[in-house]
Amino acid sequence: MSEILTKRSLLIRLAIGAAVLVCVMVVCSLIGTEEVSLKSVFFGPGRAAGLNPDYEIFARVRLPRIFLAAIVGAALACAGVVLQAILRNPLADPYILGISSGAGLGAIIAVLSGLSWNLWGRSPIGLFAFVGALGTVWLVWGIGRLAGKSQVTSLLLAGVVVNAFFSAVIMFLTSIAKGHQIYSIIFWLMGNLAEEDFFVFWIGATCLAAGIVVLFKISPKLNVLSFGEAEAKTMGVNTAMVKLVAFAAAAFITAVAVSLSGLIGFVGLIVPHAVRLVLGPDHRQLLPMSAILGSLFLVAADTLARTIVAPAQLPVGVITAIAGGPFFLILLVKYTRKVGWTG
Amino acid sequence: MNIIEVKNLRFSYTRQAVVFKDLSLQIQAGSFMAVAGPNGTGKSTLLNLLCGLLKARSGSIKIDGAKIESYSNKLARKVAVVRQEFVPVFGFSVMETVMMPRVHYLDALGFESQADRQIVSESLEATDTISLASRPLGQISSGERQRVFIARALAQDTPILLLDEPTSFLDLKHQVGIYDLLKKMQLEKSKTIVVVTHDINLATQYCDVVLLLGTRGDYYTGTAEEIFSEERIETVYGVKGCSSRLGKGNFFLPLGKFAKDSDLISR
Repeated sequence: MSEILTKRSLLIRLAIGAAVLVCVMVVCSLIGTEEVSLKSVFFGPGRAAGLNPDYEIFARVRLPRIFLAAIVGAALACAGVVLQAILRNPLADPYILGISSGAGLGAIIAVLSGLSWNLWGRSPIGLFAFVGALGTVWLVWGIGRLAGKSQVTSLLLAGVVVNAFFSAVIMFLTSIAKGHQIYSIIFWLMGNLAEEDFFVFWIGATCLAAGIVVLFKISPKLNVLSFGEAEAKTMGVNTAMVKLVAFAAAAFITAVAVSLSGLIGFVGLIVPHAVRLVLGPDHRQLLPMSAILGSLFLVAADTLARTIVAPAQLPVGVITAIAGGPFFLILLVKYTRKVGWTG
Repeated sequence: MNIIEVKNLRFSYTRQAVVFKDLSLQIQAGSFMAVAGPNGTGKSTLLNLLCGLLKARSGSIKIDGAKIESYSNKLARKVAVVRQEFVPVFGFSVMETVMMPRVHYLDALGFESQADRQIVSESLEATDTISLASRPLGQISSGERQRVFIARALAQDTPILLLDEPTSFLDLKHQVGIYDLLKKMQLEKSKTIVVVTHDINLATQYCDVVLLLGTRGDYYTGTAEEIFSEERIETVYGVKGCSSRLGKGNFFLPLGKFAKDSDLISR
């Protein structure tokens, strides 16, 4: 009976994954354009006279950014897992239901309107993107329901069409935007992790953690749902409920992630596949392991993004796509035979 | 005791296309029933009604003495279904597949107990699929896969087993193998088995009761010998043939105009 995932083997794998993640985060926090001496970091923020620059860079710039990359990566990977499961489509990613274009539209409106007010010291882009993302998902879900019975197909189609439509609007707005606005729009559209203040970070992290816990709770049912809705129903799964919870939680964590970091592509598509190809499709393992690998991937990618063309910075979405694409193809070729892809 | 009772069932997908006008039916606990009939007479629809996927327009269905609506998601503890084979997108292994219906009994973290493992390994043994346990579902033959889905239905541990054409893509050996397996489940575990099938002869050999659905909302129940007469098959299926007694059961050979023995039907 070794073929079935046990609690013990899952815990061991999660512990190893978490340990590797911590190591990578520590290493990445030491990499940067400025040399940071850990020794002086330990002296803290510095007393009365002057600031301790090592501590400032390490604790106020690098660490928050690394933690942000970790939670955003985890959220995107989990959302990808869940959408692939309920849409029963290996091409699904967190953005497939129009979240990307909706969030993008929200962000562009925020940039173009030139709002000068701040929200807890933040520009309103994130908030607009969040509202745009959730609004679009709600719209797509509504259209999918109206379209009727074969909900999965109509949801996918509605998502694709809404995405295309909003992308056209985004292109239009970009082409009438002014020079400096275009720069911020493009940086946002390519995904960009910037230093966040701790308050925003904690709100975001709490939301994402809650969403991931909810998704883990329904992960055994996602397994059953992979066999199709009729099958799942006859095995006693309340499919309508599971699908609603899964969609809502996945959309929510994606929207939060997007509003914190812009549109970071590829993480939500390739991380679930990478984990599934190596460890199998059981969602009880797939979901938490994808969260860990998503964090790892995005932390590493962001470290590259902020150092590779230093002192300038790349949008991290460029790195995830350039590094992720070929890596995924290698994995695909190498493991497909072993797993027996049936799609 | 009747474990399934259907009374005055009426069902239609659209207003025009009425599938069942007024169907009443009792299935005894521990019996083996075949559901036969031409394409489009509602065999699979009946199965979907019995497992709660479809709702009747009027009339009632009782499972084990209680109305089917009263079960909601708990119906899965009474009725298991084996459909025409379906392979999921993601490569679940045979073992994982058979473990699926235990989803109700998982602990708080979503893991199986020893009892779940026990019943799954029994189901794999009963269907002779234990040697396939670690193989991905997509990499085994369709006969093996059909047995795996039967194992999954067994692992669901229900008194009633519904099967939709379980032998349609299988070679002779596997066809007989599946029917033997089902009969064994009926005799040893006193399961109630309902099989949708086009194979009149296998149905005759293995089933206690036959439900024959006609194209005009007519239906016939009885033993295979009563139901599968040459005359009735001709009226219901619109095909001639000849039947004769073998040992304990009849057998029926359909014959067309250009068949070698077509002179047998040109009476």
